[in-house]
Amino acid sequence: MQHSKVLYEKGIIKNRKMLTQSQYEDYQMACHLKHIKTFYSSIKAICFSDFGTLEANEDGILISVEQGKSIQATLFISAAFFAEFRIDGSPSFSVKINVLAECLSLFGLSDCSVRILYKGEGSPLLLLLEPHDDDQVSTECSIKTTNMEELMEYDLDANSSSLNTIFMRGPDLSNIFHELDKAADEFELTISPLKPHFRITTLGVMQAETSVEVAKSSDMVILFNCRETTVARYKSQQIKLTNKAMQVASKVAIKTDASGLLELHFMMNADDQKEMYVRYFITPLLETEDN
Amino acid sequence: MKFYAEMLDVLYMREFHAIAATLAKLAKDCIMILAQEQMHFIVNEEHCSTSSPLVWVSIASKDYFPEFQMTPARPEQEFIVLVMSAMHLSRALAVLRSGSSSSVHSCKLNLKQIQFPCISVIASVVSPSSSEPREVVHDVPVTVVPPSDWISYMLPKVPNTQIVLGIPSLRLLRSLIDKLKNISPSLIFHGSTAGELNLVAESDMATITTRFSRVLLHKPDQEQSEVGAEAEADVSCSVDTRKASAFFNALQLPNEEIMIGIDSERCICLQLDIRSNVVLHSILPAVCI
Repeated sequence: MQHSKVLYEKGIIKNRKMLTQSQYEDYQMACHLKHIKTFYSSIKAICFSDFGTLEANEDGILISVEQGKSIQATLFISAAFFAEFRIDGSPSFSVKINVLAECLSLFGLSDCSVRILYKGEGSPLLLLLEPHDDDQVSTECSIKTTNMEELMEYDLDANSSSLNTIFMRGPDLSNIFHELDKAADEFELTISPLKPHFRITTLGVMQAETSVEVAKSSDMVILFNCRETTVARYKSQQIKLTNKAMQVASKVAIKTDASGLLELHFMMNADDQKEMYVRYFITPLLETEDN
Repeated sequence: MKFYAEMLDVLYMREFHAIAATLAKLAKDCIMILAQEQMHFIVNEEHCSTSSPLVWVSIASKDYFPEFQMTPARPEQEFIVLVMSAMHLSRALAVLRSGSSSSVHSCKLNLKQIQFPCISVIASVVSPSSSEPREVVHDVPVTVVPPSDWISYMLPKVPNTQIVLGIPSLRLLRSLIDKLKNISPSLIFHGSTAGELNLVAESDMATITTRFSRVLLHKPDQEQSEVGAEAEADVSCSVDTRKASAFFNALQLPNEEIMIGIDSERCICLQLDIRSNVVLHSILPAVCI
């Protein structure tokens, strides 16, 4: 924060709270990322709510976004993804996720490197952006942080007999969802050990139904693990929120059990093999009487 | 009252279209002032929330037009002043942009009276399929402004500024300001004689400071000695972010350098040198924070 401090002293910047004036070593979190493109597009993919929660530890950074206690998205970026990654303790805070996305895209299409800094409770999240194609330009963004909001805890019981898991190729699944009825209200997911193995049915306003079936022997399916049949319905709007992540995913894991809670796991396809994924939990709709 | 001009160079014609397209992005109407050796365009500031700023372009006729004849209505008058739709003009000139598919030989501008006064844009185009050139004619309706009203159509003057900085990365500046308009309604330009430009956007949620270092400093010619040349001085001015963004988004010219003049707490004046005698100006007035 060299230049912001000077500008504050001159009276150009008024909000003192947005300044952090300590040494580099004192930061609880200091990461450096050489190319922000993948980072930006995955943040953009989970940008469906106002606030996001950021938690960091030695393994990496988790950014979670929730909407109405029924859908939760978590972006995980492993420490290996960063050129430099230093965490002291386990900082966690909430931040306006669209402001964060906006700040990362300040220079539009030009690729930038970013330094992410956080000093501790009450201080802002700092982003120092430097475009690669112009070394005369640099940006300091300081984003207000608030105390972390409690997140919903979703979990699928790994030992449950009804836990079903499918691994699929990302582009193929994305194509399937792309071709489904856009106007549908609800999606029904059926996973069963017998035919039709995996079926997505859409239910529209006019009782219109379409369905897609994927056999477990299909090339799209990498792994099919199912002992009991599970059927559950989800709001199509919530499924659609996963679209952006699905489009860039190389591999998708679909997990669910008898409760109907759906876990979607999107592995991001970064150029090298460094780990980055987005995980969604979507709660099912309650069965209505006429079903 | 007569006006006739002809362009022959492909590059100049393309630039002329780019100027017209820029004006069309800024406002509905534009003013064309024709002088003996100059052609000026003015787009007035609009007073609404998503408004565009005052922009004007001065073109030395010698540069663009090998032939340029202007005869005012009366010999004692200096100008012809016309008002026209910027969009119509830009569309009429769109054929000049043409890339590889066809080539434009010449473009004539002619002030004519058919049922109404209009500027006739006649482009002579050769398409690859035939050797015969075809003529593309657009008549752009204009309103002739009588001399009694000229006082309200005067060419603006470039205000005196304390500092003028040349920013070589217009593309970055454009996308930056476009994003900043979502963060804060006002944007502070802060320049210093040390060759720095800082852009500051502040809101409750975020403070964003961007520094352009080692920018070219163009010292204003006069009054510099009083201040003392070695003393480092800095000036700042806060402007409407949307207005700034409207200007930068409208620019259709390929130039990569823009001059930013700062008049402390009064205005920002922007200057784009398309060529040495073809200059686009704009003024962003200061706002209170």
